[in-house]
Amino acid sequence: MNTRSLKFQLIGWYAVVLVAGFGLLGVATYLALQSSLAASLKENLLRRARQISQLLREESQGGNEARVGKEIQARYAPDLNERFVRITRADGALLYLSSAPKSQSFDPATLPPPIVSDQAETSRVAPLVGGRKMLLAAHALKLPGGASYLIETGAPMDEVQADLRNWLRFLLAMLPVVAAIALGGGYVLVKRALLPVDQIAASAQRISSHNLSERLPVAKTGDEMERLSVALNHMIERLDAAFQHSRRFVADASHELRTPLTVLQGELESLVQEPRLTPECRDRLGSALEEVGRLANIVEGLFAISRLDAGEAATEWVPFDLAQLAAATADQMALLAEDKKIRVTCTASMGAWVEGDRARLKQVVVNLLDNAIKYTPENGAVGLTVKTEDSKVVLEVEDNGIGIPPEALPRVFERFFRVDPARSREQGGAGLGLSIVKSICAAHRGRVEASSRPGQGTRFRVELPSVPVRTNHNQSQRNHEH
Amino acid sequence: MVSSPRQSIYVILVTHMRMLLIEDEKKVADFVARGLRAERFAVDVAYDGTTGWEKASGTEYDLIILDLMLPGINGTELLRRLRRQGSTAAVLVLTARDATHDKVENFEAGADDYLTKPFAFAELLVRVKALLRRPPTSRTHALRVGDLEIDRLTQQVRRAGKRLELTAKEYALLEYLAANAGRVLSRTMIVEHVWDESFENLTNIVDVYVRHLRSKVDDPFPAKLIQTVRGVGYCLGEAVPA
Repeated sequence: MNTRSLKFQLIGWYAVVLVAGFGLLGVATYLALQSSLAASLKENLLRRARQISQLLREESQGGNEARVGKEIQARYAPDLNERFVRITRADGALLYLSSAPKSQSFDPATLPPPIVSDQAETSRVAPLVGGRKMLLAAHALKLPGGASYLIETGAPMDEVQADLRNWLRFLLAMLPVVAAIALGGGYVLVKRALLPVDQIAASAQRISSHNLSERLPVAKTGDEMERLSVALNHMIERLDAAFQHSRRFVADASHELRTPLTVLQGELESLVQEPRLTPECRDRLGSALEEVGRLANIVEGLFAISRLDAGEAATEWVPFDLAQLAAATADQMALLAEDKKIRVTCTASMGAWVEGDRARLKQVVVNLLDNAIKYTPENGAVGLTVKTEDSKVVLEVEDNGIGIPPEALPRVFERFFRVDPARSREQGGAGLGLSIVKSICAAHRGRVEASSRPGQGTRFRVELPSVPVRTNHNQSQRNHEH
Repeated sequence: MVSSPRQSIYVILVTHMRMLLIEDEKKVADFVARGLRAERFAVDVAYDGTTGWEKASGTEYDLIILDLMLPGINGTELLRRLRRQGSTAAVLVLTARDATHDKVENFEAGADDYLTKPFAFAELLVRVKALLRRPPTSRTHALRVGDLEIDRLTQQVRRAGKRLELTAKEYALLEYLAANAGRVLSRTMIVEHVWDESFENLTNIVDVYVRHLRSKVDDPFPAKLIQTVRGVGYCLGEAVPA
């Protein structure tokens, strides 16, 4: 997993924030529950104390304050209900003390003595053995006769503590669930949020120098995604302008070069056929004419590339069998190879249907074969293969020639690039053949790549999108041995 | 130069052909006009569209060679006006623009042929003659150059009575050379005629085929028929034409 990715970080942060929020909520509910349980217990105890106080007031009016103990026992049975009751006179004498509860959860005799205070009602927490706690509530009673009592009620806080422990256990049990929901929800959310980015990236990927006139779809959402696609579109627009500018320059330049070339060629041609010329003069003029021809070829090539790159590739757009075209072209070029005693093997499985401009794609085959024959020494071998792979038609031209050094390999499709300038110039190439191949392939939504092992040979691989077979074909293998 | 009675008649016919060359590049116009006049055509020249239109609409020409990028009235517009006027002159468009849509536009406007600059004069000449429907010697079944005989029906080739075995491409090349005997053909013309335009930059294929052809046609015989004109191309004849 890529921990530096935006997706990962967003999900991480989302989960951390959600879990922290849950933790905070847990602490808050725990504290609130604690105080609410304690308050309700306290209220309970005070109410009981007030009831006992009422009882005591009635009994003492009857002059029989000692009877109160029996009344309490009869009405409230503190020992059975695990409650503590203590009534103390103002002079400190104990009037009543409840007996130990049946469960022996506390011993009334060991509880701390009462605290006299000015307030009518107070409460406090007294510790019990084993870390347990007891909540004590006190109610002061002043009788008109001047006698005053302190009525204390108490109960162990075990239940409160058990409830709190249960709540805490529940919170801890929920934590992994919350974390899982946070991660899962975060993943879904982030994925949905980043989906437009992926879509923009995919659209941007489709745009190359050949379809710069296309734009990314802009969703009118008024958010970052819209701004991103608009900004990208502006950038593509500027790129488009720059590309068009450079193409127009090449087109204009080659156009401007044509007229002087026409004059040069015309004048030299008429001169070379002048009967009064010495053979040496004629030869020199011929040499000049050859150079004019080469110049014209370069201009032609540059113009062709600029037109291809501008998307003006196709004069026709028809489906046809590339295998057939390749085999026929290899046939036509046979003598060129034979001249160097090079064996050309053509393995083309018929039915490799592609769509496009036949003449242009034929030029791809011609240029690649010519290139292979040029750079393969005498008695070498050149292989031409056409086959269908998945949804692609693959054309490969392989030779066992001098090869291309690895550092030069990425540049072979550049205009005017030559692996070995001296050698290539003597071969008469302008250094545009492979550029033209690349441009034609791109114009047909295909690609071309080169691989080579110096001294062992080079392989050019052209991939074109295949189209459904139009006619019934048989997978016949044609082998041409020249 | 191969000379036959047929060609003398042809020369007489040609002198009655009137041509108009509309080309604003003076130097291009000059060498084209000079070359055509050397072939005994009567050539008028206009250096801009307006003058071109005046001349073309005032005189009956057999052929108009028209540049497209002209000051005044541009070539395509001139062509349209000409056709609207009902002119039947053959029009050969000469231009530095060779984008496909340009070609289509001009063929639709009424052009008969199209030649992209830079061009070999020999090619211009071949096309001009084709447009004037006065091909030199090519409509006969039998072609004869020196002691070389080609039967176009049976595709048999004999030299000094001896039958030569040629491959299909070698035959196509020899026939093209023979049909234009005495004329220098550029490698580009040969490639486009014998192969197709995708071989355009592969003119060395012509050299290889010519070499093979020579080994069969010339090597066994004392007189050489296939001539090389350096920088220009090849020519079939007993000597390099002057």
